[in-house]
Amino acid sequence: MAKITRKDLEALKQKHTGEDRNWIRVGFSTCGIAAGAQEVYDTLVEESRKHNADVEIKKCGCVGMCSAEPLVEVHVKNMPTVFYGKVDKEVATKIMEKHVCGKMLVNDRIYDMRLS
Amino acid sequence: MAKTVFVKDTAITGKDRTRDFYGFFLGGLREKGLENDVQLVRVADIGVYGQGMVVRVLPEDFLYVNVQDSDIPAVITESVIGGKPIKDKLFTQASKQARIVLRNCGVIDPESIEDYIARDGYQALAKVLGEYTPEKTAQEIKASGLRGRGGAGFPTGMKWEITRKAPGDQKYMICNGDEGDPGAYMDRSVLEGDPHSVVEGMIIGGYAIGASKGYFYIRAEYPLAIARIEKAIEQCRKHGILGEGILGSSFNFDLEIRLGAGAFVCGEETALIASIEGKRGYPSPRPPFPSIKGLWGKPTCINNVETLANIPVIILKGGSWFAGIGTEGSKGTKVFAVTGKVKNSGLVEVPMGTTIEDIVYGICGGALSGKSVKAIQTGGPSGGVIPKEYFQTKVDYESLQKMGSIMGSGGMIVMDEDDCMADIAKFYLGFCVDESCGKCAPCRIGGTQMLRLLKKVTDGEGTRKDLDQLEQISFAMQKASLCGLGQTAPNPVLSTLHYYRSEYEAHVDKKKCPACKCEKLIRFLIMSEKCVKCGMCFKACPVGAISGNRESGYLIDQTKCVRCGQCFEVCKPRAISRS
Amino acid sequence: MDKAVIEQEVREIADSWKGKEGNLIMVLHQIQNRYGYVPREVSLVLSEILDVPLARIYEVITFYHFFRLTPPGKHTISVCMGTACYLKGGAEILGELEHLLCVKPGETTKDGQFHLEVVRCLGCCGLAPVVKIGEKVYGGVKKKDVGDIITQYSEDSEAKTAA
Repeated sequence: MAKITRKDLEALKQKHTGEDRNWIRVGFSTCGIAAGAQEVYDTLVEESRKHNADVEIKKCGCVGMCSAEPLVEVHVKNMPTVFYGKVDKEVATKIMEKHVCGKMLVNDRIYDMRLS
Repeated sequence: MAKTVFVKDTAITGKDRTRDFYGFFLGGLREKGLENDVQLVRVADIGVYGQGMVVRVLPEDFLYVNVQDSDIPAVITESVIGGKPIKDKLFTQASKQARIVLRNCGVIDPESIEDYIARDGYQALAKVLGEYTPEKTAQEIKASGLRGRGGAGFPTGMKWEITRKAPGDQKYMICNGDEGDPGAYMDRSVLEGDPHSVVEGMIIGGYAIGASKGYFYIRAEYPLAIARIEKAIEQCRKHGILGEGILGSSFNFDLEIRLGAGAFVCGEETALIASIEGKRGYPSPRPPFPSIKGLWGKPTCINNVETLANIPVIILKGGSWFAGIGTEGSKGTKVFAVTGKVKNSGLVEVPMGTTIEDIVYGICGGALSGKSVKAIQTGGPSGGVIPKEYFQTKVDYESLQKMGSIMGSGGMIVMDEDDCMADIAKFYLGFCVDESCGKCAPCRIGGTQMLRLLKKVTDGEGTRKDLDQLEQISFAMQKASLCGLGQTAPNPVLSTLHYYRSEYEAHVDKKKCPACKCEKLIRFLIMSEKCVKCGMCFKACPVGAISGNRESGYLIDQTKCVRCGQCFEVCKPRAISRS
Repeated sequence: MDKAVIEQEVREIADSWKGKEGNLIMVLHQIQNRYGYVPREVSLVLSEILDVPLARIYEVITFYHFFRLTPPGKHTISVCMGTACYLKGGAEILGELEHLLCVKPGETTKDGQFHLEVVRCLGCCGLAPVVKIGEKVYGGVKKKDVGDIITQYSEDSEAKTAA
């Protein structure tokens, strides 16, 4: 992309905000990676392909709940946006199967939620 | 949003009743035929502690605490079905975090500039370049009352103004990312989670002070942070946000990264400058301050990562908005890295003036199970401890200083009953002795002597005179050291001596460590009345200090014992005492 | 090492920093990345290329903890001794490693497999106590886990040499 000006900035902002999409954010900071975020991310990507799920999986920074890493935040339309903590391969599979595809929250793994 | 109910028992008594409670609640929902319409979820944590059973009803977000089984029918009919709150049970969370610095951390992809732009990224820069003069920019920051988040708390706007007014054709902007405090990692998280906001803060700063060049000085121990800042700079150059004619204006600015190499003293401004110049990180006497004579002798403004991350928000929302948050002398929020013996360690961003109690108990859930919190330590090796009795203290620059500690960069270490204060002081001092650059004598010699005295105390060989001497050397170091490292190095010793003198005295008078931490002063004994003669301790002892057999029982030979504590750990009936 | 090869490599590194003021530390970082430490032969060559006295180079290397003058072991074990890790038993973990590997911090095992070192805060305090081996970070390490973790690495290397 070419050099942008102030006007382009506004246009870019509009382009990237807007529609409500399903997404999953995986905490990818040093602490998250150390706790196993890569494996969780890979599992999520693989499972989403398997289920052909309509969800965007993103790598993000650290939200600050270090003791609960690896941390995964899940937003599915018409459901509360929640953080799953201490996620491993098994839980990642469940998140995709139950939460994203089955619209059911996974028991015992939710650590917090985003209120907005 | 579909009806959802979260339940959590944070185990006031240590007993987990969630399963029963969950069952009851599910039963209640079934009675009303709602089990398919309402999702009932058992959660691992809900952010409320020591309040028994907690129920959160969504989407209305009613939060109930101390819920009894008998309350369930009312919660279901009133709130779940009726959508109305039960007023007398409703709980409002005392302390909410306020996210300014961490606004984008965990929300955006740090490697995507588009993500940052979508969250108002570089709007502040555009505003400044389009509408503000450099003077006005510094004015706005001055009006906000923002103070440096690196530790000392110098007003940022004033620093910018001084650097702008300093004579010189070439000026520099430096971001201090040499987060050396052990136990603090706010800056790493910001650099890794939201690099563009720091870059934007740097460009705005550069515009305000009239610099055309800026440096990121980042610890080499943070490879991911370095990689993400590198990527952010590259993206900015590509998009014309760095380089010549930024965003179509006439302002030119570029950034470069310089790596630290594992020297704590380089967090000090003058030492940091020496390090960027490619030399040993020796501090130099101030004045002249870097704002007048800094990098390569030119006026230089050094800001901390967290300080810079605040800048774009202040510009967008206005200085007076920011000044409305916090206390009289300390504005805005502060990020703390709460670690140590605490249930939920992590990053916490709170408005200045929040009490320590709210942070440690309210947000982080208090001590680890079965223990109680003894004190916190802030400010790393330059700070001091604050005992539990003073947890009503508000966190701001002045209050913490009054308590004998400092705000520091934002480490908050929670200590519990198992931590010995003399040992903590020794740990911090040991750190400063290791990291002392050796240029000035008070720090080099004073530190070493203090460490020797502390070692004597924790080994049980100290006297009262040693304690007095510790204080004397501390005062000398504070007065005579060249830079901040030496001047503040005695703080942990002085503050622990102030609040926990009796603990030190137990070490020197009774030769005892009340927290059972100092190895040389611990003694392990087998209590024969509790001993089941299983022989586990005999097997576990690595030095053969335990003798006996399964008939006669076992004995620890104190002369051979190395106090490793392995016998204590393996003893199932807890028949070994530690004192 | 062959002097010509070194010269070629060092020149490549130094050239990318040529003309930039205060580049010595950055060049040394890249040299350490390339060789694992800063060998004396390299410093000699660097001194010629940058036209900086050898004493100046050594002055910098010896000041900063990060730079090494001796080759590291095959695996570098860094035990974090930040405050959080210290409180949560970092010293115990270090003691166990010293015991298992028979080296003190800053030393390399006789077979050159492991280099043990103490670091001040890796910034993963939420996972304390932390041990880093190579690039992998182990969090929440317990004393009894230390042996298992080390074994993974020694077996790993044995298997590789056998294959």
